[in-house]
Amino acid sequence: MNAEANSSVLTFVPASLAERAYRSAQISWTGLRVWLHYQTLIWWDKLRRRDPDARDLHAVHQKNADLIFHTAVSLRGMLVKMCQVIGTRSDIFPREYVSVLSQCQDRLPAREFESIRQVVEEDLGKPIESVFAEFETAPVAAASLAQVHRAQLVTGEEVAVKVQYPDIEHIMHTDMTASRRIAALYARFSDNPIDFLPLLDELQTHLRMELDFRREVKSADRIRDFFSRDQDVRVPMVFEEFSTRRIITMEFVTGAKPNDLDELHAAGIDTQGFMLRLMRIFNRMILAHGFFHADPHPGNIFVTADERGKPVFTLLDFGLSKQLPRGFGMGLFELMFSMMTFNESAMLRAFRELGFDTRKGDDDSLLYIARRMISRSDTGSFQGEFTEDMTDEMFDAVRESPIVTVPTDFVLVARAFSLLSGIGHAIGQRGNALDAMS
Amino acid sequence: MTQDVATDRQEFSFDELMADDPFEKSLVTNDIQCHGGYIDGEYVSPRGALRRPAIRNWRERLSVADHPLITIPEKYVPPNYPNYDQAKYLLQEGVVEPVTRALTIIAIVEGFGARIREVSVPDFDAEVEESVDGTALAHLASGLFEAHARDEAGHRDQGGHKQMWEAARDAGLDKPEIPDDVLLRLMSGGPPATRKRLYPELSERMESMLLMMTNVLIIETFAEDTFNWAKKLLGDPEVSADPVQAAHIVDCIARDEVPHVDYLTVALSELRARTLIGADGQSTLSGADVIDGVFRRQLRGMATVRPQQSRERSQADIHQAVSDKRRASSVARQFEELDSGWTFPHRDDEELDVLLKSA
Repeated sequence: MNAEANSSVLTFVPASLAERAYRSAQISWTGLRVWLHYQTLIWWDKLRRRDPDARDLHAVHQKNADLIFHTAVSLRGMLVKMCQVIGTRSDIFPREYVSVLSQCQDRLPAREFESIRQVVEEDLGKPIESVFAEFETAPVAAASLAQVHRAQLVTGEEVAVKVQYPDIEHIMHTDMTASRRIAALYARFSDNPIDFLPLLDELQTHLRMELDFRREVKSADRIRDFFSRDQDVRVPMVFEEFSTRRIITMEFVTGAKPNDLDELHAAGIDTQGFMLRLMRIFNRMILAHGFFHADPHPGNIFVTADERGKPVFTLLDFGLSKQLPRGFGMGLFELMFSMMTFNESAMLRAFRELGFDTRKGDDDSLLYIARRMISRSDTGSFQGEFTEDMTDEMFDAVRESPIVTVPTDFVLVARAFSLLSGIGHAIGQRGNALDAMS
Repeated sequence: MTQDVATDRQEFSFDELMADDPFEKSLVTNDIQCHGGYIDGEYVSPRGALRRPAIRNWRERLSVADHPLITIPEKYVPPNYPNYDQAKYLLQEGVVEPVTRALTIIAIVEGFGARIREVSVPDFDAEVEESVDGTALAHLASGLFEAHARDEAGHRDQGGHKQMWEAARDAGLDKPEIPDDVLLRLMSGGPPATRKRLYPELSERMESMLLMMTNVLIIETFAEDTFNWAKKLLGDPEVSADPVQAAHIVDCIARDEVPHVDYLTVALSELRARTLIGADGQSTLSGADVIDGVFRRQLRGMATVRPQQSRERSQADIHQAVSDKRRASSVARQFEELDSGWTFPHRDDEELDVLLKSA
């Protein structure tokens, strides 16, 4: 089958009954245990005539997050991806979940090579040896949807080949069905349930898009275009003729990790102004172009030195790229700017512009959230950097004020900025978005 | 006319430098509460009750000691591009985008003036041989930078120049659609260049502060032509939706900028009249040599290469905007015919120097 022929719409293929039953049972059992950990405490508090809402739930959040993490790692596949998505939603889930489940990244055991070969040969429509002169059987990375192999094309180019697991569509179908069932049961038996079904809808839409690697290639192309005249940003070239819905063949790149100062120095990289350069790249995507790489964790950025020793950033993995609504960049800039100048009326205008809302339409809740976030900055004022502490505090405040609606776009952007801030702190610099603009 | 408080003091507290005059009415524009206010029907800048007399006293002290004031020669001030006639022609032809973009970028850049509050001020007792007591220098970190920052970006519920420029734009151009590429234009420069130290003998803090102050002073001085341009254009009833209000707001901003130019001039001139102590605590440098050197370097870049590049970029943008219109070639030709031109000083022009005037 060639790439053209393989461009059909993603369809679900039913997995074997035994497989589906096993995964469903595991997911349901985990869901039940999580629910019981909370419910038992509520029953106990009611029995003792205590207010269950007054209980400190940090320990039980941690216990449940660990439980879900272990189930996800043992079942692998789609459940890991779901955990990763939960790990990005600080606005909905307590920070213990976000902290533990965001660790579900690129650390999974590899699949056997034969199943990978099968996907490659099916999609390219020819034997693997006729395209690749070499194809390393051990992957360089294995993640929830795919694994990456180093290879060499018959024309000599060194490439990285990202290959989707053959059964991932079955697993997605099974896991989504089981998760929906649990969400429905949870909604029926809880006194004050969070409505997980919209989140699962959003997740399913997102996963369907991520399973089509052609979308990721388009995102990479788009971001490469943004920086076509910039010497300090690289997006690996994709070999379109060897890329399909389930395969991406791109140039093989390597480099130092951006959060490891020793590695950067060993690679001869001048780190003066390092974060200003990196923030400038993300500022341009987020604030100016309105389309961005939403997962800038250190594993997705390689750094090399140019001829003067200045850093060149290679961006990888465009699966979580996001189109922002028109005007979002200006709204975000206005929010940051108003927070920097303590201008609360401008802050409110910017919150509304970005799509924040409150059920009662009141302003105090939004200002309360902004004040709490700013209070957690290193300096007590906002100077342009969204640190992890600040975004955690902000989302804690959001969860405590369920009347506030936070736009998903903002959540992803705040997460991206806090990941960049984390990189900055690891090398003793700041990921300050406003500094990188002025 | 507002009467300044009569005082011969040289020392002022932070709160005194933030103090407003007793306004009878505040400035509200575009439904936004702005700084400053009115006394006897005349606009009076914010935070001026004691800042104005303070700057006056510090300047007089320089004069008494016969120290000159730094001044930037007018001939180096680049004219705004497009000029008034060109901009008016564009608006008459319905090409609003370039003017909107320019005014929006001015608003944002003005707002970034707030970053002056983050300048790290050196320890003058350790790095300047003579005392700085009773000078503008001694008040940079204790009120002058903060007042400047608040003027530019606004503070709490008071809008500053950023919001005032936006209000002038919205009044004059009737709330135009903001081009999507404004932030992209702001970030269109390359990655930050690594700055070479000019005076490695000095502490990095001292040199950074001098560069920042010089930079801001040149920008504020160069802005004079932009104010005149904006006042004339937005105040022109043939092209402005609300000429009176739009021109008035620009005029308010221009008035507010006066104390900025004044305190930066006085503080840099004070430092010029002193001896700087190197980072090693032993070596000394003449303040005049350092300040003149920094000025010469900054002025060379800012009066030559940068305005020329900016002009070329704006010209390309305007032609792009015009190309979407009917009669594109005729509009473009007429636009160019209205260009009054400007000869950019050569980078190595020896006359491109700091001139001094008597305080």
